Amino acid sequence: MSAVLQLTSVTKSFGAVRALKGVSFELRAGEVHALLGENGAGKSTLIKIITGAHQPDGGTLEIGGQQVAQLTPQAAHRLGIACIYQQPALFPDLTVSENIGLRLESVSVLRRVNWSARRERAAQLLQRLGADISPDAEAGSLSMPEQQLVEIACALGAGARIVIMDEPTASLTQKEQHRLFTVVRELRASGVGVIYISHRLEEIFALADRVTVLRDGESVGTRNIGAGQSAVARCMANERPESPHPGPLPGGEGERQPATRPAVRVPFAEPLTTILPLPSGEGRGEGVRDSRPAGPPNPSTPPITESELIRLMVGREVSSIYPAAEGEPGEVVLALSDLGCTAGGVRHITLDVRAGEIVGLAGLVGAGRTELARVLFGLTPADSGEIHLNGHSVSIRSPQEAVAHGIAYVPEDRRRHGVILEMPIAHNLTMAIHPRLFPGTWLRFGAERSHALESMRDLAVKAAGPDAPGGSLSGGNQQKVALARWLATKPRVLILDEPTQGVDVGAKSEIHKIIRRLAQQGMAVLLISSDLPEVLGMSDRIAVMRGAEIVAMMPRGTEAHAVMAAALGQGRGES
Amino acid sequence: MSFRFQKTAVLRHETVLLLVLVLEVVFFQLAGRNFGTVDNVANIVRHSVEIGLLALVMMPVILTGGIDLSVGSLLGLCAVLFGKLWRDAGLPWELAALATLGLGALAGGFNAALITGLRLPPLIVTLGTYSLFRGLAEAITHGTDAFTRFPERFLFLGTGRIAGVPTQAWIFVAVGVAVWLLVHRTTFGRSWRAIGFSPEGARYAGLPVTRRLVLAYMLAGLMAALAAITYTARFGTAKADAGTGYELAAITAVVLGGTSIFGGVGSVHGTLLGVAAIAVLTNGLSRVPATMSNAAELSGLLTGALLIVALAGGALPGRIGARRRKEHPPAVGAPVSDPA
Amino acid sequence: MKRHFREFSVTGALLLLLVSLAIFAPNFFEPQPLLSRLTAAAPKLVVACGIALVILSRQIDISVGSLFAVCSLSAGLLAAAKLSLPVAVLASVGLGAVGGALNGALVAVLRLPSIVVTLATMVMWREGLRLAQQGVFVNLPDGVQWFGLPMAAGQGIVCGLALVVLLALAYALRFLAVGRFVYAVGSDAEAARLAGIRPRLVTFGVFILLGALTGLAAVMNLVQSPQVDPSTGRMLELEAIAAVVVGGVAVSGGRGNLWGVLAGFLLLACITPALTYLDVKPYWDKAIQGAVILLAVVADGVRRRKLNR
Repeated sequence: MSAVLQLTSVTKSFGAVRALKGVSFELRAGEVHALLGENGAGKSTLIKIITGAHQPDGGTLEIGGQQVAQLTPQAAHRLGIACIYQQPALFPDLTVSENIGLRLESVSVLRRVNWSARRERAAQLLQRLGADISPDAEAGSLSMPEQQLVEIACALGAGARIVIMDEPTASLTQKEQHRLFTVVRELRASGVGVIYISHRLEEIFALADRVTVLRDGESVGTRNIGAGQSAVARCMANERPESPHPGPLPGGEGERQPATRPAVRVPFAEPLTTILPLPSGEGRGEGVRDSRPAGPPNPSTPPITESELIRLMVGREVSSIYPAAEGEPGEVVLALSDLGCTAGGVRHITLDVRAGEIVGLAGLVGAGRTELARVLFGLTPADSGEIHLNGHSVSIRSPQEAVAHGIAYVPEDRRRHGVILEMPIAHNLTMAIHPRLFPGTWLRFGAERSHALESMRDLAVKAAGPDAPGGSLSGGNQQKVALARWLATKPRVLILDEPTQGVDVGAKSEIHKIIRRLAQQGMAVLLISSDLPEVLGMSDRIAVMRGAEIVAMMPRGTEAHAVMAAALGQGRGES
Repeated sequence: MSFRFQKTAVLRHETVLLLVLVLEVVFFQLAGRNFGTVDNVANIVRHSVEIGLLALVMMPVILTGGIDLSVGSLLGLCAVLFGKLWRDAGLPWELAALATLGLGALAGGFNAALITGLRLPPLIVTLGTYSLFRGLAEAITHGTDAFTRFPERFLFLGTGRIAGVPTQAWIFVAVGVAVWLLVHRTTFGRSWRAIGFSPEGARYAGLPVTRRLVLAYMLAGLMAALAAITYTARFGTAKADAGTGYELAAITAVVLGGTSIFGGVGSVHGTLLGVAAIAVLTNGLSRVPATMSNAAELSGLLTGALLIVALAGGALPGRIGARRRKEHPPAVGAPVSDPA
Repeated sequence: MKRHFREFSVTGALLLLLVSLAIFAPNFFEPQPLLSRLTAAAPKLVVACGIALVILSRQIDISVGSLFAVCSLSAGLLAAAKLSLPVAVLASVGLGAVGGALNGALVAVLRLPSIVVTLATMVMWREGLRLAQQGVFVNLPDGVQWFGLPMAAGQGIVCGLALVVLLALAYALRFLAVGRFVYAVGSDAEAARLAGIRPRLVTFGVFILLGALTGLAAVMNLVQSPQVDPSTGRMLELEAIAAVVVGGVAVSGGRGNLWGVLAGFLLLACITPALTYLDVKPYWDKAIQGAVILLAVVADGVRRRKLNR
């Protein structure tokens, strides 16, 4: 089996942070290769190197058997690499067919646009994906998964032979997931190499041929996934003709010059005739679990099991590195009963958080955790249910009201929401306590400065000084500033949304210690995190969210797989 | 880090502008006739008060990342309203002036309501009210009516002197100090700046974004009304075409003074320097024999050139602006709140 | 229908206005005065089309009024110097293109904000013109007015030119790749770059085109009177932007079309005469224009809020 992509000992550093410490990775034609790892393990850096957005510091990159130096995004595109991001880069104001057309047609300026051909081709590509999207719909009006399908259609039309999917199912419904899986299998069947990034092990076992696990910038292993695969599917896949089909791309219409393609290109979509009958002929979904092509897994490594994979991913003992809780939690501070917000995307939330307690909110991206935080902070006010603070019913219509009630929210996206990058650290630190620090609205620079210095010392913020702009800080220090801003309000309830995302290991454990200390001081902490070991290690109780609701409450000491299973909806009769 | 140099860049911008102003003064002192006389300085001040007042309140609006094209038209409308209230409704001029100030603030509030309530781009909203306010002024006066023969006490505001200084200069100084304090010494200014850098970031920080924006636009309306009063007192007549083109003059002064059109960056003293640089240039050119007859034109030409040079030269704020533009879709007049 | 809601609603408003005129003031549709009005408005339409392109690419240009005056004057002076009319036309269009290129270069190459750049060039062109011309009108020789043709024929040519420009641009925006690039750049410049389009080149080109169209509009205006007023074109930029905005082109770029611009333009252009015919005093004109603009943007805002729910 030929490798369409081969990375050897790739290294990449950002300043002092070594994001990749010599990662090797191989992608074969016609395989789905899952890439797994915690946040900050180096997945996104690796992807950016493959798509040409970053240049590696060391190591080699081979595409289609040829070594490539200085890969640019344009060159990557030309070499047939397509990446489907979680947030697709479409033109929101233009129709789907035009979005596809602009990507695939030549850029010669005075060419006449053939709308019907454009539309037809878009319809054809979308149909091949089984996507029920009108080519005339505006891209901006599509849901995220629909936009992803449009991106995939572009990749399909461009004849990509390496397709990267970055958590494509994060916000998909069950039905949409099934459709996407069919698409991925078809891509594989046609000889495309798919790099599939996901946190959902279930998906990886359903879909992937191999999995590579990254941890702390290193590849901790590449394993086969093969247990219990359907013999029917294997047979069927093996019937696929091996010889490449020389004809033009079905969607390509020859608008792109052959000269722009590398010679070693694996012709895409050659088995169109074999793909299409698959879903319709064999009855998709249930019966055919997998249509794995040839390319037998390396026999020397046996197929990996789910629990092994989790262990590989998590790597270390969970409890030892997290600060332990001492003493019993106090009174209930925050009590939510049947809270919901239609526009905000949460419903039927019932939850207590006690003083001194850290309640973890686990769940997949898009499960409604950030949405719940936004409701509590008044950004999208609740439209049903009740919020009780220290036993009193309160209504929170705006962030100002939330702040007045002693609720603080340290948001997930710190560069956009957590810190104003252009403003000095001191200004950022005092932004939430203007009324208290500046009585009568008059700024007191001395008080501001001493407050800033004190906060920076308390949380050990490493910066040139309180006047340095927020943008000059490293991720971890930005996070500390975002946190310190809210600690200054002396909140009763502290909501932390992915507090250690993209933060290096040292700062991470510092932040953990701070969080525990705050709880110890009597704060009620709601901790949202996609980092499972973090949720497990930090939380006194864990609320698991799925589909905008809380589906399970679990005590401290729950096993990772139990939380994962609840987040995935396993054990509830779903596949 | 590129952010590091931002503050010094602004300082440098203002220093350069001050240098330009000093050069202008020296040059015209040497080349012009009667440039440095007390009368002429008073003259410069008198002529620049209205545009100066508008620039002073345009600055906070631009600081929030917005713009207000309607202030010139509102000046005209307020002048007419003042005349109407005084002559036709029979109010004493003091009361009429107070009522006009209130109506001006209300008109600014109308802009703010559309901008914050419906999340419409400020550029387009104020383009609409630019036409509307001027149109209402014309409708009230039937396009021809002019209000004249104001009482002496009122005209003193525009033509008199207190302690040798033109009356409206005192008003201007008071407003200037107030706006400077507001922008640089209160949480209002801090919030405006935060909103200009990142409306969403400001909202997530718990700042009352809507209220702060409403204040900025209402202040602009209020000051347009005040400018209408000094304008009327200076000319002795109130007509519908009062203040035509003043909004652009004010924006020019603000941008020349180093305020970034994308918001967040800028200072009130920079704006004042911008106003002064333009006023001195216009007046000075009219005092130099060679340029005397074409002073207004030359000054406009030079101001435009200065504006481009200031923008192109201040490459750093421009670059930051360019980067921010990617995050905030429309170049100017983005909807001001988090659309989520 | 949903996608072109704005164009439909503006057209609907225009039709409503025309129908009420037909009922209450049928005089409005008498051919000769109607043609005269259309001819007088035609240059504005040409400028509005150019502005529409600029706004579609998410920029703005407020210097067209001044550039229009400069082009008018230059063409007028050339014509007065007995140069042939085609030379004057070419000079006007060329000068306009150069003016547009200046804006375009400052915006696309130096990446300065277009609102401030064109504010500066607006002042510079206007003051430069005043400096050079000192407010003196230019008398045009015979043979310039109406291109030396009978008035009706000249009016036909002017209106025809506007129509040709409108149709050509509408065609290009819809059916030529470059037209779609304008939409792409306005919708998302970064996505456009990823699709192989060069956004800055597109921006530059759009400004040049607007300049050239402004030059053409200047000539179309020039031939309608025996002399050139050096203060011509005041407020032209705002009238054109208003027509474009009322016509449903979004200031955030990438959305709208010239059909809407035509409807918006005619709606605003018909209000003034309609007012006289409907016995509303003309001094209400500007207020109503402003109200129409606000109505259009408020409708947009309300609609967007509904859609977002």
